[in-house]
Amino acid sequence: MLSLEHVSVTFHEGTPNEVRALQDLNLHVRAGDFITVIGANGAGKSTLFNVVAGVVPVDSGKIILNGRDVTNQPEYRRSLHIGRVFQNPILGTCPGLTIREHLSLAALRGKRLGLGSGVKHSNAAWFYELVKSVNLGLETRLDTDIALLSGGQRQAITLTMATMMKPKLLMLDEHTAALDPNAGAQVLELTVKLAEEYGLTVIMITHSMQQAIGVGNRLIMMNRGRVLFDVSGLERETMRYHDLIERFRSLQTGDELSDRTLMS
Amino acid sequence: MPENSFTNSPNSAEAPRRRLPNLFVLRLLVVAVVVGAFMRFFGVNIGSLGQGLAYSLVGVAVFITFRILRFPDLTVDGAFPIGGAVCAMLIVSGTSAELTLFVAFMVGALTGLITALITLFFRVEGLLASIIVITGAYTVTLRVMEARSNVPLLGERTILTPYQAPVRAWLVENFGRGMRRQSNNLVEIVVFALVVIVVLLFLTWFMHTELGLVLRAAGTNSQAVRAFGVNHHLMIILALMLANGLAGLSGSLAVQQLGFADVSLGFGIIVRGLAALLVGEVLLRPRSIGQQILSAAIGMVIFDVSRAWVFAALSLPTTDIRLVSALVVLSALAAPNLIDRWQEWRKKRRRSDA
Ligand SMILES: Nc1ncnc2c1ncn2[C@@H]1O[C@H](COP(=O)(O)OP(=O)(O)OP(=O)(O)O)[C@@H](O)[C@H]1O
Ligand SMILES: [Mg+2]
Repeated sequence: MLSLEHVSVTFHEGTPNEVRALQDLNLHVRAGDFITVIGANGAGKSTLFNVVAGVVPVDSGKIILNGRDVTNQPEYRRSLHIGRVFQNPILGTCPGLTIREHLSLAALRGKRLGLGSGVKHSNAAWFYELVKSVNLGLETRLDTDIALLSGGQRQAITLTMATMMKPKLLMLDEHTAALDPNAGAQVLELTVKLAEEYGLTVIMITHSMQQAIGVGNRLIMMNRGRVLFDVSGLERETMRYHDLIERFRSLQTGDELSDRTLMS
Repeated sequence: MPENSFTNSPNSAEAPRRRLPNLFVLRLLVVAVVVGAFMRFFGVNIGSLGQGLAYSLVGVAVFITFRILRFPDLTVDGAFPIGGAVCAMLIVSGTSAELTLFVAFMVGALTGLITALITLFFRVEGLLASIIVITGAYTVTLRVMEARSNVPLLGERTILTPYQAPVRAWLVENFGRGMRRQSNNLVEIVVFALVVIVVLLFLTWFMHTELGLVLRAAGTNSQAVRAFGVNHHLMIILALMLANGLAGLSGSLAVQQLGFADVSLGFGIIVRGLAALLVGEVLLRPRSIGQQILSAAIGMVIFDVSRAWVFAALSLPTTDIRLVSALVVLSALAAPNLIDRWQEWRKKRRRSDA
């Protein structure tokens, strides 16, 4: 359902600050996949998301979403099919608007904007159920300014907004990283529940090895703008936390070594 | 199930807030009474009320750009005189004065559109883009007024004239000749108040529509809005057109009140708009979007009244008006800041005492 073919992105090309964030990257995501993505800081994980979402243009390569070449589509158009949750809870919400107004915004996704009422009474029951199923007691506070919620609460609402219109693809960029362990666990639980309930295709970036093997059906490790390995099925099932750490370490040092030899 | 860690901090911040009754209406009444008493006591001409109402939509325009869109747009300095000039020329050529209000709105909106396009297509910063547009708009205003710097409306039919004679007759009949002098001011106040109320109601309705909701969201977080599949460039265009349309409309009201259009009418309007916004926010502490819109408009009326008072109290010549404006604006800008610092200082002192 999503394919990246030979995608390369270089920032500050031709300057001393040149960063090759993605290098000839290939990735094929099947409908219904729940992929976890790991990799060191600067490996290009967020850039991968930005390229798929249309925030960052590609230098070369193609992006195919649901059989359509979207490489040159603007971000807001692709957003009709893609739900996103960011690491920073502030990025996903609009302070000053209430929870209900946020859900109303999300419900407008893909609709022609008109002069009808922005917050529709006919949606009230739906919103109530949605927020109730998050299980944080927020359903009684739908008219609270979102700026008054904690990071975890905001992230749960953002996740609800990203999924409620059942997007084809859900992309989560370390969406539990800013939360305390409890809140993080709850948001992760909610993520898995929503993905199953709606049958979503999910790509989730995480720095927690535990999360990476505990959730989903496929695991990808990235390094220096490439997919280093991509495991699913039995291989992933039998993978242990320590195996993963080991591979993470060895691949990194191996990479550094080869770099050093290249330099000398 | 782990202990619910979501429900800790925000409750404490919110609980006392929710229990407070809505004090907005009360504040509104208090401000109205205080301003009224103030004007009576110091003998401030009620003409300043009409003037404040004519300019009040500029406060709303600045609210839309600075607060909703969070875009530092100065274009109102250009949109205001263009709206006024177009209105004056149309009235002189015999067009219905009521119709010119719509035309002035459209012309102002067009000015805002140009600023929006300059920022979006040429990636010029908003502040600079609007300065460029203001500069260009000056020439356009002169062209509209056929190279005259001033177009008088003497003897022309404005939106005020149909009511002036009957109201004067009625006042003289019921309250004696003493009311003669105030009759035109009263007509201004009532007519402008009606226009402004209609516009404010429309805006409040609009801000609650789908488009309005997205517009408000786009201002606070354009990233989130793009993630919902909204072209946020369109929202910038829409907001700038709406705001400057209001400035153009305000310009046409001002021209009909003054009885002439002038090329320099817009100079420093943005500062007045900002002052109105701040005065309204400080005195009325609006919360909902409707309250915020209303506060920006009322802020302008209060601003004009206090300026008129400063003027009268110090018996200054009319040529000093700009400096007085600047000082009143400065105090409006500085007051919230100073109050904050004073409170902080008091808190610190109390802490060191304890
Ligand atoms: N907009 C940008 N401009 C310039 N360089 C960028 C930009 N975005 C990312 N980079 C660079 O591209 C590289 C990959 O960054 P990216 O954010 O994709 O890493 P990441 O894998 O998400 O890392 P982290 O785990 O720290 O979030 C980094 O070296 C980063 O500095
Ligand atoms: Mg990242």
